[in-house]
Amino acid sequence: MAEKTNTLNSRKLPIAQLISCGDISCELLVDPIPRPAPEPITVRLKPKQSRVVLIDHHKPNSMTILKLTQTILRQRGVEVNDEILVKGDASRPMTAAMLNSLSQEGGLVLCGISD
Amino acid sequence: MAYETLQDIENCMDNGWSDGLPVIPPYGSLVDEMLSAMGWQATDVIGEIADQNIIVRAEKAAATAVMAGCKTQYAPLLRSLSKALLDPKFNLGGVEVTTGGAAVLVIVSGPIVEQLGFEHSANALGANNRANATVGRFAQMMRHFCGSGGGVLTPHGTVGHPGRLSFCIAEHPATEWGPYHTQYGLPATASAVSIMSAEGPNSCNNHYGETGASILDTIGDCMNHYGQTAWYYRSGGFVVVIPPDHMALVKEQFSREQAAQYIYDNARRQTDDLIKAGRIAKDPISYAEVEEHSLRSPLKSLDQLSFIECGAEGGRFSAVIPRWVGSQQVVCMAIEDV
Repeated sequence: MAEKTNTLNSRKLPIAQLISCGDISCELLVDPIPRPAPEPITVRLKPKQSRVVLIDHHKPNSMTILKLTQTILRQRGVEVNDEILVKGDASRPMTAAMLNSLSQEGGLVLCGISD
Repeated sequence: MAYETLQDIENCMDNGWSDGLPVIPPYGSLVDEMLSAMGWQATDVIGEIADQNIIVRAEKAAATAVMAGCKTQYAPLLRSLSKALLDPKFNLGGVEVTTGGAAVLVIVSGPIVEQLGFEHSANALGANNRANATVGRFAQMMRHFCGSGGGVLTPHGTVGHPGRLSFCIAEHPATEWGPYHTQYGLPATASAVSIMSAEGPNSCNNHYGETGASILDTIGDCMNHYGQTAWYYRSGGFVVVIPPDHMALVKEQFSREQAAQYIYDNARRQTDDLIKAGRIAKDPISYAEVEEHSLRSPLKSLDQLSFIECGAEGGRFSAVIPRWVGSQQVVCMAIEDV
C-alpha cells in the first residue's frame, strides 16, 4: 500500500522579505502578507496537570465524539472534566473571554474534534 | 523579459508569495502606482483581522493587486473590494481555513462593468478576461495572504473548488429586475462590488420548459439535492444566476421578489427523509429549528436568496451557487471615484 503523504506538513512559512537584484542594483519587493503582532499565542505542549478539558466546537458530531472520548479516557484512568464546554459558532474563533479562561488551564485542552 | 524578472517570479513562488500560479513580482515602483490609484498611503490601516492580531495596511492590498495582474484602472473597485474583504462581517479567516472549502465570490454590477471591460455574457462564471480573472484572483489572494495568520494557519478545505483561484462574476449592465446591488439597498444607478463566501456553481439545464415556473422549479430542485450543505444549519443561502433565455420565460410570470417567494415556498424536502439520509442530526441543536414531519426549505429566510442576471444568449441554462454556511452575510459596497 502506498504511503500517505500530506504536503501541508511540509509547508514552510512565507518569507518576510525578498530582494530583486539586477546587474547594477537591488530593490526590495513589497511583502503582501500581513503578520500577527504580537506573535501568535504560544502553546505549551506538555500539560502542567494530568487532566483533560473537552470543548465542543459546534460542528457536526462534535459532542457525540467528545462524550465517547470522555468515557474512554476515564476507562483508561485519565481525569476528564465533567463539563464539556461549548464554542457557540463553528465558523469563528472562540471568544476572547473563553480563550483567556482556557489560557489559565493547566490540563490538556482538546478542541476541533468533529465531522 | 529579463532573466532577473523570471528569477523574481520563481522567488515569490518558492517563498510563499503566491496563490500557486506565477505572480507579477511586487516591485516597489509598481506597488506605489497601485497605491496612488487606490487613493491610499502605504501605511494606511485598511482593516483588521482581530482574532489573528493582524492589522492590514494599504501596501499589502496594493502589492496583492499588482501580483494578481490587476490594472491600475481597477483601483477604485479594488479599494471597495479590499474594504469589503476586511469587513469583520465577512469572516475572512474563516473562509480561508474552513473544511467547507469555500471561495470568495465577487459580484460586480452597474456601469463599471462596461467601463472596466468585464465579461458578463459568454462563460460569465469563468470568463477568460483580464478584469474578471484578475479581480477574482485578487480577492482569493487577499483571502489567502490576510486570512491565514501570516501563513501560520493551515487551510482545511476538504475538497475546495476552482473558485479558490479566481471567482468573479459581472452582471449585465442592463437588467430585467434591476442591478444586483439593489437587493442590498444601493441605488440602481450605482456601481458596486458584492462579496460572499461560496461553494462552486451548479448548472441547471432546462431546454424544454415552457413557463417561468418550470424554470424556477428546475432551479429549486438544483438547490434541493441531498448533498447540498445548507440542510442542517441553513446559515448560508444561494445565488441564482439567470441568463437571458431562461429570464425571457421567468420575467413573464415573476418579479424578482415573486421568484424568491416561489422558490422559498416550493423548493422543499421532507424533513424526515433528510434525517433518514443523515443530512440532519437525529438529536438536532435548537439553532437548526428542525420540525419533524414537515417540509423543510434550505433557506431560513427569503433574504438568503439573491439573483444575478448574466450569461450569454442561445443556451437554456441557469446556475445555482450555494453560499458557505460560516459567513452568513453578503458585504455590498458602492464603488466611488478615487
